[in-house]
Amino acid sequence: MALDITQMSARQIHAGIQDGSFSAVEVAQGAIDAIEALEPQVHAFIQTTPELALKAARAVDADRAAGRELSPLAGVPIAFKDNMNEMGTRTTCGSKMLANYESLYDATVVERMLAAGCLPLGKTNMDEFAFGSSTETSFFGPTCNPWDLDRVPGGSSGGSAASVAAGMVPLSLGSDTGGSIRQPASFCGVVGFKPTYGVVSRYGIVAFGSSLDQVGPFGRSVGDVALAMNALAGRDPRDCTSQECAIDFTANLDEGVEGMRIGVVPAMNEAEGVQPEVIAALNEALDHLRGLGAQIVEVELPHIDAAMAAYYVIGPCEAFSNLSRFDAVRYGYRDPGHADLSSMEDASRAVGFGTEARRRILVGSYLLSSGVYDEYYLPAQKVRTLITQDFREAFSKVDAIVSPTSPRTAFKLGEVSDPVSMHLSDLFTIAINVAGNGGLSLPVGLGRDTQLPVSVQILGPQFGDDRILRVASALEGCYDIARTAPLAAAAKGGE
Amino acid sequence: MPLSEKDVRAIADYARIGIADEDLPQMTEDLNNMISSLDAIKEFDLEGVEPTFHPIGDLSNVLREDVVAPSLPREVALSDAAETEDGQFRVPSILGGDQ
Repeated sequence: MALDITQMSARQIHAGIQDGSFSAVEVAQGAIDAIEALEPQVHAFIQTTPELALKAARAVDADRAAGRELSPLAGVPIAFKDNMNEMGTRTTCGSKMLANYESLYDATVVERMLAAGCLPLGKTNMDEFAFGSSTETSFFGPTCNPWDLDRVPGGSSGGSAASVAAGMVPLSLGSDTGGSIRQPASFCGVVGFKPTYGVVSRYGIVAFGSSLDQVGPFGRSVGDVALAMNALAGRDPRDCTSQECAIDFTANLDEGVEGMRIGVVPAMNEAEGVQPEVIAALNEALDHLRGLGAQIVEVELPHIDAAMAAYYVIGPCEAFSNLSRFDAVRYGYRDPGHADLSSMEDASRAVGFGTEARRRILVGSYLLSSGVYDEYYLPAQKVRTLITQDFREAFSKVDAIVSPTSPRTAFKLGEVSDPVSMHLSDLFTIAINVAGNGGLSLPVGLGRDTQLPVSVQILGPQFGDDRILRVASALEGCYDIARTAPLAAAAKGGE
Repeated sequence: MPLSEKDVRAIADYARIGIADEDLPQMTEDLNNMISSLDAIKEFDLEGVEPTFHPIGDLSNVLREDVVAPSLPREVALSDAAETEDGQFRVPSILGGDQ
């Protein structure tokens, strides 16, 4: 009987390999079987790599047979967002521009997870170049939410969230520029963590907004996410913004929140368009935290309203600059039949980039143009100073802040088409990308009205990432909820 | 003042993105909507506030030792290119005319 990994945590998988209950190869096969059963409905992956997973699994089994010590993630299946370079795969960014791009090296985060013994099952679907909040802008078609296949998984790391929620892998990596880990984690009912900017190397990740991007893990429990952080974090000489980090992220998970001061921001929770079931779930979480001995305190973030505008200035400006590298010369889509360089480039970029990518590049190009720079870009960077000060001030009064992750639960495929409305689904996630702080999305059950996953977001001070995980772990213990969508059990029942 | 179609055409030329004539009205409308949603940025009193260009504010000129380190071999670096010749990237004529 094949091994069913769809409900298993990374820690359970590792323990089972360690004590000989099953082999890493059986785990890899279990993930391959789960993908075969579920992927046709979910479409979480752009490319699957069963042979790479089996090869890594054989190495783990050989290490165990030779009596070598196994790392805590050895034998754990993982999926990488398709903006992360991994040798032996294409890295497409969900774009026609890179549809045939073969990775020539490993991103540092990929290298670290593979060195830890993770089994790479494939590259996950995403909004094109991470521009989106629903994974619908992928050149390879949308991903479906495992909890309701008619709905989006969120985005831009929608495939990474859906692969974990569906039970295909216990861990995945995503990237978060304005909420692209936390919002899909919320829509798919899994844990998603964006660490403080600088904790995890960005080397080998296709850049979107270089001062905003951060890589982080998805898992079905806070413990699994903390384990992944231990492998991911730390200085990388190839990313000059990465910081030394000698923290054991699992160390404080059982310390509880007694005596902690937890902040709530009235302006966030009273914002227009927040679904009542989201507020109800937040209030329930706050009651749990009180029950655990935390003190709930109101704090103000006076410039939070400007975060959205600052982000939608800074993001496109940095994207405009980063995406100028796609010149159809060294790599990427080249439109055939052009006699001169500029018409070749104009056509290749017009055809290679999708609509939202072109919109953002053009907005960035405009905002950085002479005369306009002083109207938007410079004020946005000044607003960033104010938002950073707001958070610093708030975290001098509280240990962590709790808010909704997303104003609403997952929407239907095709339901939100206007770009400005789409941007509003990142209302609560964006501010900490602008300020650089860490944030985690924790599932807290199904919404009372939509019966879809709802989450709360836990924010911490810069480099207070272990504290975020500690609060999340304590709160997680108050809930007895399914982490794998019912789809996996249904697929198994139908065998 | 909203962007005209002519403005958008100029921005696109600068960003090296071709736009078909029939797509220009929709793109112009989208850009104007996106830009007008950013106007909140002008509503704050920013007198005397220093900009923060980066979340880790005190980083500047991070340099490594100036020693040769391994990098991609030439044939690997060329392997994703649409067209190569004699170990180099090949492009159409830059100045126009015959190559």
